[in-house]
Amino acid sequence: MPRWVMVIDLDKCVGCQGCSIACRFENNTPVVKPSEALKGRAVRWNDVFPLPVNPTEETGDFPNVKTRYLTRPCMHCDNPPCIKVCPVQATFKNEEGIVEQNYARCIGCRFCTVACPYGVRYFNWHAPEWEGALQATPLLPAEYLNPDRIEGGGVLEGPAVRPKGVVEKCTFCLHRLQKARARAKAEGRDFRADEYVPACVQTCTGKARFFGDLDDPNSTVSLLAKSPRAFRLLEEVGTHPKVIYLREG
Amino acid sequence: MAAPFTRRQFLKLAATTGASAAAMTGLQTVLASGAAHASSGEIVTAAEEQIVPGVCLLCPSGCGVLARVADGRVVKMEGNPMHPINLGALCPKGQAAPELLYNPDRLTGPMRRIGERGSSQWESITWDEAVQLVAQKLNDLRAAGHPERAVLMYGETRGQLRAFLERFFQTVGSPNTISRESLNVAAAKLGTYLTQGIYDLPAYDLEHANYVLSFGASLLEAGRLPQRMVSGYSFLRRGRADRGKVVVIDPRQGVTGAKADEWIPIIPGTDAALALGMAHVLIRAGLFDSDFTHHYAFGFDDFADGEGKLHQGFKSIVLDHYDPARVEQITGVPATTISRLAGEFAGGKPAIAILPGKGGLLNGSLNGLYAAIAIHCLNALVGSIETRGGVMTQRYPTVPDWPPLPADPTAESGRNVERADGAGALFPLARHAYQAVADRILEGYPVEALFLYDANPVYEVPGGARFVEAFDKIPFVVSFSSFMDESAQYADLVLPEPTFLERYQDDYIEGLGYPGIALRQPVIAPRHDTLNVGDFFLRVAAAMGDPVAQAFPWRAYEDVLQYRLRDVGTDWETLKELGVWMTPGYRFTRRGSERWVNEVVGADRLNAPRDGRFDFYSRELHALLGGLSNEQQAALGLSQTSDVVSLPHHEPVTYAGDESEYPFLLNVITLMSLGPYSAAANLPTLQEITGMTVGETWDSWLEMNPEAADELGLRDKDPVWVESPFGKARTKVRLVKALRPEVVNLPYNQGHSAVGRWARDRGVNGMALLNPKSEPAAGLAAFTNTRVKVYRASHIADG
Repeated sequence: MPRWVMVIDLDKCVGCQGCSIACRFENNTPVVKPSEALKGRAVRWNDVFPLPVNPTEETGDFPNVKTRYLTRPCMHCDNPPCIKVCPVQATFKNEEGIVEQNYARCIGCRFCTVACPYGVRYFNWHAPEWEGALQATPLLPAEYLNPDRIEGGGVLEGPAVRPKGVVEKCTFCLHRLQKARARAKAEGRDFRADEYVPACVQTCTGKARFFGDLDDPNSTVSLLAKSPRAFRLLEEVGTHPKVIYLREG
Repeated sequence: MAAPFTRRQFLKLAATTGASAAAMTGLQTVLASGAAHASSGEIVTAAEEQIVPGVCLLCPSGCGVLARVADGRVVKMEGNPMHPINLGALCPKGQAAPELLYNPDRLTGPMRRIGERGSSQWESITWDEAVQLVAQKLNDLRAAGHPERAVLMYGETRGQLRAFLERFFQTVGSPNTISRESLNVAAAKLGTYLTQGIYDLPAYDLEHANYVLSFGASLLEAGRLPQRMVSGYSFLRRGRADRGKVVVIDPRQGVTGAKADEWIPIIPGTDAALALGMAHVLIRAGLFDSDFTHHYAFGFDDFADGEGKLHQGFKSIVLDHYDPARVEQITGVPATTISRLAGEFAGGKPAIAILPGKGGLLNGSLNGLYAAIAIHCLNALVGSIETRGGVMTQRYPTVPDWPPLPADPTAESGRNVERADGAGALFPLARHAYQAVADRILEGYPVEALFLYDANPVYEVPGGARFVEAFDKIPFVVSFSSFMDESAQYADLVLPEPTFLERYQDDYIEGLGYPGIALRQPVIAPRHDTLNVGDFFLRVAAAMGDPVAQAFPWRAYEDVLQYRLRDVGTDWETLKELGVWMTPGYRFTRRGSERWVNEVVGADRLNAPRDGRFDFYSRELHALLGGLSNEQQAALGLSQTSDVVSLPHHEPVTYAGDESEYPFLLNVITLMSLGPYSAAANLPTLQEITGMTVGETWDSWLEMNPEAADELGLRDKDPVWVESPFGKARTKVRLVKALRPEVVNLPYNQGHSAVGRWARDRGVNGMALLNPKSEPAAGLAAFTNTRVKVYRASHIADG
């Protein structure tokens, strides 16, 4: 059973936000109205932002200023605080370590969004309200919506269009994993861990993202995880993230 | 569409529609056979899927894309892993392309104006009517003996389209095909031409470079080929054992400077002095490539011309005038830093000094051009021309010649008339002077039919509003825009072209040196009643009758492409299937060899000898400007005379606006998110992520150093007016430490008054504040020579 891990090399990341938008089109995250975006309610499962967030707090004074940029998917913690607070088991860690979110069970209490120390859980404050062909409501999907979804048996997951009032988050593109598995099975062979990457990894302009099985000692991610540059976000809070960063320089 | 399919329903469907089975990809077969699942839900997907290759056109990089077409709809864009520019990657603009394709503000068919100009009253017409109207107009111009009064202004004409459109206008009899390059790459192209003798952007072998010195221009965000640069940068950083060093020289740090190993915040407009200061150190220390400077270059040392007259060479001007102590005074870069950079540049070979595609160099005086020359001379000085890890010369696929133009005295006389933009005459060094077309028309150059292809001059040039006045003098304006942009609003005919996902168009692969071709094709049938501009002009040619029709024996633009691409090394079907074809691997030429002389150094020279020598002393400039009187030279913005005119040197920038009244320099910056093209501003996703670096969204902002803001009593996010001698705009100030205190930045591609619901009335357009005057010698638009003042705006009006 693979243990899925993402490695992000910040020395190669150029802050282009390709990951953010690849995720949007892969997972059907809505565009929110400008007024909502200003309130910080934009839904991008993998956001990119400067560190420090407020540019006036940049380290150093002109000309010795250093700005950094961080790209941030769900950390898919091995010890995820979000699943412990969910009163309805709408979010859970599966046997391969991916933290899933079932929209069909979610009651929108937002405990998980508060519990998550990384701020990567997004609440649908409104049903998307766009006009014309770009309209993306559950009733009338936009023409370019990704048709993939995971459903049935009380489950609604993945790129399935979410109703208002539920929480959503990065799934490591779980539906891509399921499709890759199905393809391998149909072709009568074993599934290999390198047959699947999330959309953000596929699109990364700087080739900064790597994805794979941490239990395979020869996988790229296993090798990179041993790099002296490797670190995890907020390691001290005991969440054991499965997104590993490689620092710059 | 898309009622959710369950697997059971899907199986039923698959069983009853046997005919579609052949079109099903492996995955659907899979689902029918029952899938393994990680969760209790089951994966549901489209009934029928295809992956169709194409080429993105939301910036000039030209990344290969693969469109995922599910049940006839484009649902996802991926990078084409076979395309060498992006290697499977795709930036946010490319990812957001479905919002362009399905944009509700796209024009749905050809239209003719019925109300006043600009009154937005239109009637639909058929393509046949449009063809007839244009053919009639052009025939009338030919009959009147003035075919040159038909003018085409164009932006991105990829692959064969530029040659095709030029051929059309030449056949009609007009020399007036005017490229937007004077707004972006012309300074860098001219810099390369005046030294290396190649009129093109150099290609840089970043993958093997050890030391990269980037002069301005946001290499990783918004240069000419951002994705090419990102791919190269990424490999240089961590794709190989030894990590290369990147140094960014720019008044603004930006993302590129932040990601670099070192950021040098230079005083704007002084890049030439810094490059020459480095050259000074290299020459003094003997760190230059003397084999190159003596055997394959011209004018490094002082020399005597054919008449025995002595001339000053590069070495003596650099040693006399650019010692680091003096350069520190000019550039604000410490002398020790200059010496260190020079040492690293020569000691860390292979090293490259990169020319910016736009921005800093386009500063409204000859300064920018000399900066391009000086920067490129650094490459020559350390012998990086045509070496691994250095500068390559872009090659293109072999294409057959067009059939000869029919003999036609009307067209021949028209083609010899002076151009509408003044390139080559008023602007002696220019090939194109896009922004100057309005001035020329207002000064009386007669234009009777103006065609705008990927051109929105009303918005995109400094002081673009004068194009509206210029349009008033033109009886017939045609726009091919897919959106009702600021310029199309004032057109008489709007003939929308399909988006890049719905049309045939080839694309040269640029930036890697070796030749390659990529192909756009309709990944889905065109959604609206649009017509490829190539097909449109083919139909116009046919309707015009001979001799114009004779020159265009093709039925469709697709046939034109098949004709022109027959020798690229693959057949049409393979090209359609793969989307890209190339001959990978750049073949470096030996110095002085036949290929060196024919392809690498001097091949494009029109006046100077094509002798395979790199000009430290530009013989081309000497031929064009050397013979002018001192007064004439001064009129072109030259403060120097005699030999210095032909040598790289620092020319002080002349700024518009008095420093005491307008203390800041305005820098209009292009963002990775919105990019350089107007249509992108109408993609809501790109609007949402536009201001990532400062946490802004859906708006403009003005970046200012906190110390400068402090002196003005401004706090972060305060509403401000930015005012230049040419206009003012209201936005909010954002404090950014990584910026020179005398510079303020305003992002480009906001402040549209048209295009669509998401672009309109949002933020401000910095172009309206910039100096509209063209640079007098090379016809470059001025981007960085405008001073502004910034003051608090009233909170009451703060919406």
